[in-house]
Amino acid sequence: MKKALAILVIVTMAVSAFAMGGKDGAAAAAGEPATIKLGGTWPLGDITGKQGSMAAQQAVDEINAAGGINGHKLELIVIDDEMKADKGASAFEKLITVDKVDMLIGGMASGVALGQIPVLKKYNKVYLATGAASFKVEEALGADANWYFHLHPWDYNQGASYAEGWAAIQEKYPEIQIKKLFLAYEEGAFGKASYDATKVLFGADDRYIIDGAPFKSAALGGGDYAAVLKAAKDFQPDLFLWAGWEADALPLLEQSKAMKFNPGIYLGAPPGWPADFGASSLANNVMLYGMWAPSINDISPVSKKFYDGFVAKFGIEPATYFAPLSYSAVYIAADAIKRAGSTDTEALIKALAATNYDSPLGQTVTFTPSNIIKHQGVKNQKILQWQNGRQEVIWPFDAATAKPVYPFPAW
Amino acid sequence: MKNKTSYAIAAGIAVIMIAFPAFLGAYPLNVARSVMTYMALAISWDMLLRSGQISFGIAGLFGLGSYASALAVLRGGMDPFLSIVFAAVFAGVMAYALGFVVLRLRSMYFSITTLALMEIFRIIIHNLHDFSGGPEGVVLPGVIFKGSASALYWLCLGGLFITIGASYYFEKSKMHLALTAIRNDETSARSNGVDIFKYLLIAFVVTSTLQGMMGAIQVQSYGFTMPDTAFDGNFTLLPLAMALLGGVHSTIGPMAGAVLLGVSAEWLKLQIPYGHLVVYGIIIIIVILFMPQGIVGMVRKASRTGRRSGRKAGASNE
Amino acid sequence: MANKRNATTIVAILAVVVLLLWRPTVIIYGLQAAGLYATIAIPMGLILGIVHIVNLAHGEFMMLAAYATYMLCQSLGIDPYLAMIPVAIVTSAFGFLVYKLTIRQALKAPELNQLILTFGLGIAITQTMNLFFTSQTRKMSFGYVSASIDIGELSFGVYNFVFVGFAILMVIGLRLYLTKTTAGKAALAVGQNPKGAAIVGIDVDKTYGSVFAIATALVGMMGAVFITRSAVFPTVGSPFTMKSFCLVAMAGIGNIPGILGASVLLGISENFLKAFRSLRGWSDIVFFVLIITVILGRSIKGKKA
Repeated sequence: MKKALAILVIVTMAVSAFAMGGKDGAAAAAGEPATIKLGGTWPLGDITGKQGSMAAQQAVDEINAAGGINGHKLELIVIDDEMKADKGASAFEKLITVDKVDMLIGGMASGVALGQIPVLKKYNKVYLATGAASFKVEEALGADANWYFHLHPWDYNQGASYAEGWAAIQEKYPEIQIKKLFLAYEEGAFGKASYDATKVLFGADDRYIIDGAPFKSAALGGGDYAAVLKAAKDFQPDLFLWAGWEADALPLLEQSKAMKFNPGIYLGAPPGWPADFGASSLANNVMLYGMWAPSINDISPVSKKFYDGFVAKFGIEPATYFAPLSYSAVYIAADAIKRAGSTDTEALIKALAATNYDSPLGQTVTFTPSNIIKHQGVKNQKILQWQNGRQEVIWPFDAATAKPVYPFPAW
Repeated sequence: MKNKTSYAIAAGIAVIMIAFPAFLGAYPLNVARSVMTYMALAISWDMLLRSGQISFGIAGLFGLGSYASALAVLRGGMDPFLSIVFAAVFAGVMAYALGFVVLRLRSMYFSITTLALMEIFRIIIHNLHDFSGGPEGVVLPGVIFKGSASALYWLCLGGLFITIGASYYFEKSKMHLALTAIRNDETSARSNGVDIFKYLLIAFVVTSTLQGMMGAIQVQSYGFTMPDTAFDGNFTLLPLAMALLGGVHSTIGPMAGAVLLGVSAEWLKLQIPYGHLVVYGIIIIIVILFMPQGIVGMVRKASRTGRRSGRKAGASNE
Repeated sequence: MANKRNATTIVAILAVVVLLLWRPTVIIYGLQAAGLYATIAIPMGLILGIVHIVNLAHGEFMMLAAYATYMLCQSLGIDPYLAMIPVAIVTSAFGFLVYKLTIRQALKAPELNQLILTFGLGIAITQTMNLFFTSQTRKMSFGYVSASIDIGELSFGVYNFVFVGFAILMVIGLRLYLTKTTAGKAALAVGQNPKGAAIVGIDVDKTYGSVFAIATALVGMMGAVFITRSAVFPTVGSPFTMKSFCLVAMAGIGNIPGILGASVLLGISENFLKAFRSLRGWSDIVFFVLIITVILGRSIKGKKA
C-alpha cells in the first residue's frame, strides 16, 4: 500500500514537472506573436559553446537594437547540450515542439550532432549548424537533408584546404619545402578523424610522405608525449602537425624541446589555444590551423565590429572561432528570414541558399554543395602563425596579415 | 486485502505510464526516456547490491550492450528489435563467463575489478577500428520504429518494466533471503547451506543482462554511439547516486532517486543554462547529508514515528 | 619463501638490464610516469588506509591547488615551487573544512554514502571552477621543464624525474610520521581498528581530521608541482582520481610503499607497449589488466593461506 502510494507520488511529481515544461511553451507560443525565435544548442560548459552562445546573443542584441527583422524582434533560446548526444537530441525536441522556434542554430561536437539528426529528420526544421566537422554527420544526413545548412567546414574540406594552402605557400615562398609530414594525433574521435583526412588528402599523389602516431591528450589524463615525439623525431619530418586539445599545446612544445626535436614547421590544430599561449617563449613561430584570429580585425571591419562588441558586452576576449562563427550564424539567419519575408520552411531554405554574407571570418559566406549535402558554408580553413604573441594569418593570401617565418627557430 | 489494493494501484500507475504518449509531447517523452534508462540502471545496480556487492561496471555492460546491438545490426544485418534481445543475452553471457572470476572477490576489490573490466571493454572497442568504428563510433542506418516518439517511449518503458519485474521477483522470491543472508554474514549463510556463488552468479548475470538491454535500447533509440558515449562514466556513477538518494535495497528507492535526479537535472538545465551542474552537485551533497537513508528511508521513518504516536494514543485499529 | 623473493628480484633486475640495453627510453619514461602516478595516488592511499573513505573528489583537490598556484604565480610573478608551501597550507585548510562540514557528518552512514558524497563534491567543485574560469586551459611556461640530457644519440627530458623524487620523499616522510610520531602512531592505530583506538583513548575524530588535512596538504603541494609540467583546466584532476584509486587497490589498502611499487610496474609496462608501434593504442589496457591480475592473484594467494 505504502509502496504503491510512493510510486503514485513519484509519478505525479514527474508528470507535473513535464506538464510544467509543456505549459511554459504554450504560454510562450500564445505570447507576442511578433517575436521570431531562434533555438540554439551548444555545450555551455565548454569554452567553445559558452562563447559561441554568448556571441550569438550578442548578434541578436545588435539586430534588435537596429530595429529587428522587418519590425519583428528576434529572440534566442539556448539549451545546454552538455556535449552528450541524448541531451542534444532532447534539447532539439524541446526547442521544436515546446518553444516552437522558427529556426535552429548552433552545435559544436560531431558526437552530439549524430544523436540530433534523427530528431531533425523527424521535423525537417531548418538548421544552421556551427559545428560538427565529421563526415559521418554528412553521411547520416544524406542527400535529402536540404534543410540542413552547414556553416563549419567538414573534416575533408579542412584537409583539402590545408593541402591547397601548403601547395600555395611552397610556391610563393620557395625556401619552404615540404616532403615529409608527421601527424601526432590524440587518440579520440577528433584526432583519429584528422589523421584519416590528412592521410587521404595529402597522400593523394606521391608529393608527400606521411606518417603519424596517436597520443593520449592531457585533456583526458594523458600528457606524456615521449613515445609519439620519439617516433616523429626518428621520421625527421619537414612538417610536424599535431591534432589534439588546447591542454596539449605547451606541454608538447616543452617535451619536444627536451627531446631536441626541431622540425622546420611546427604546426598545431587544436580547436582553441590556452590563455596566454603567446606569452611563452616557445610559442613564437608555431603555426596553426584556424578559422579566425583577432588579427583579422586589421583586414575586416565586420570582424572588428564583432570583436569590439564582444569585448564591450562581456569584458573578455573571444578565445575561440566558435564565437565569430555563431555570431555569423545569427546574422545569416536574420538576413535570410528578412529576405524570405516569413519563417516558412521552403521560403527560408530558398533565402538561406542565396546567402552572401561578409563574415567576421575575413571571407564571404555562401552555400554550395559539398560531397553529399547541398548547403555547405565555409569550406576552407586558414593557416596562421604565432608571431610575437599574436596569431597572424599566412594563408589564404588575400586575408594574410603577415609573412611566414621559416624555419621554426632551433631551440 | 492490503495487497490487492496495492496491486490495483500499481497496475493503475502502469496503465497511466503506458498512456503517457496520449497526452505528453515529444519532449517530455524524451526526458522520460532518459529518466527511465537511468532508473532501470539504478534498479539493476541495486539488485546486485542486495548481496553486498558494489559494482562499478554498469557503464561497461551498458556500453557492451550498446555496441553488441549496434554491431549486430550493422555487421550482421540483424533486425533492430531482435538485436536488443541479442545484446541483452550477450551481456548476460559475458557476465556469466566473467562471474566465475570476479565474483570470488569482495568489497572494494570487486568494485575496482568491475571498473577495470569496463575500461577494458572501452579500450577494446576504441582500438578495433575496422570492426567497431573506433573512437568515432558507429552510425546506424536509422532509428528503430522510424523514430516515433511514442514507440521509442514504449520501448524504453518495456525495458523498465522488465527491470522492475526482475527486481520485484528478487524481492519476493527466495533470492531475497539468499542475497540478504550473503550481505549480512557470508560465513553463517554458507554454514546454513546457501550456495553463495550460485546466487551471486544469478544476480550478476541477471543485472548485467538488464544493463546490456538498456544499452541496446539506448543505441537503437538514438541511432548512434561512440565509445565515449556508450561507456560514459556517468552511466556508472549517476545510477549509483540515484539508488542511494532514493534508498537502497528496494525497488522503489532507486525509482524515486532517478526521478529526483533525472527531472531536477533537466529542470535545472532550463533554469540555469550556465552552471546548472554546480547546483546538481550540491543537491547530491545535501541529500546525502540530510537524508542518509534516502528518500524512501526517510518516508518510512516518518510514517513509522507517525504510527508509533498513533499507537500511543490508542487510535490504531491494527 | 626467501628463495622465491630472491628469484623474483633477480628476474626483475635482469628485465630492467635487458630493457635498458634494448630500449632505454622504456625505463626512463616509465619511471617518470610512475613518479607522477605515485605522487598523486599516495595521498589518496593515506585517506583510504586510515579514514577508509574513497575520495572521488581527490583529483578535484589537486585541480584547485593547481588553480591556486596559477593565480598566485601570475599575480606575484613567482615560481610554482615558491608557491608550493602556501598553496599546500591553503588546500589543507580547505580540505579540513570540507571534511568537517561534509564528510565527517557522513562517517556513520554506510560506506557508499561517503563515496557518493565525494562524487557530489567533485561535481560541485569542478563545475564551480568551470563557471568562473571556463574550460579554457591555462599554462605557465618555464624553461627548466625542458631540461634534457644527451646520451649518445638519445636526448630525453629529465625534468619529470622530479616526481620520482617527490614520491620517494612522500613514502619516507609518511613512514616516519606513522611510525615515529605520537600522532602518526595514533593514526595508524585508528586505521587498523577505530573502535579499539577509541577505547584506548585516541580521539578518532581528531585523527581523521588531521589525516585528511595532511593528505590534502600533500595533494596541494603536488598541484603546485603539477602545473609546471601540465596545463590546468577544471577537469584536469578527474582522470587522476580513478587512476589513483586503481593504484591504491593494486597496492592493497594501507600499503603506502606498495603504491610506489605499483606505479613503477604500471609506468614501465605502459611505456613498454608504447615502444611497439602497432601496440601503441593499447597501452591503456595494461593498466587495467595488471590491476585485475594483481587483485586476483592476491585473492587466490590469500585463500590458499
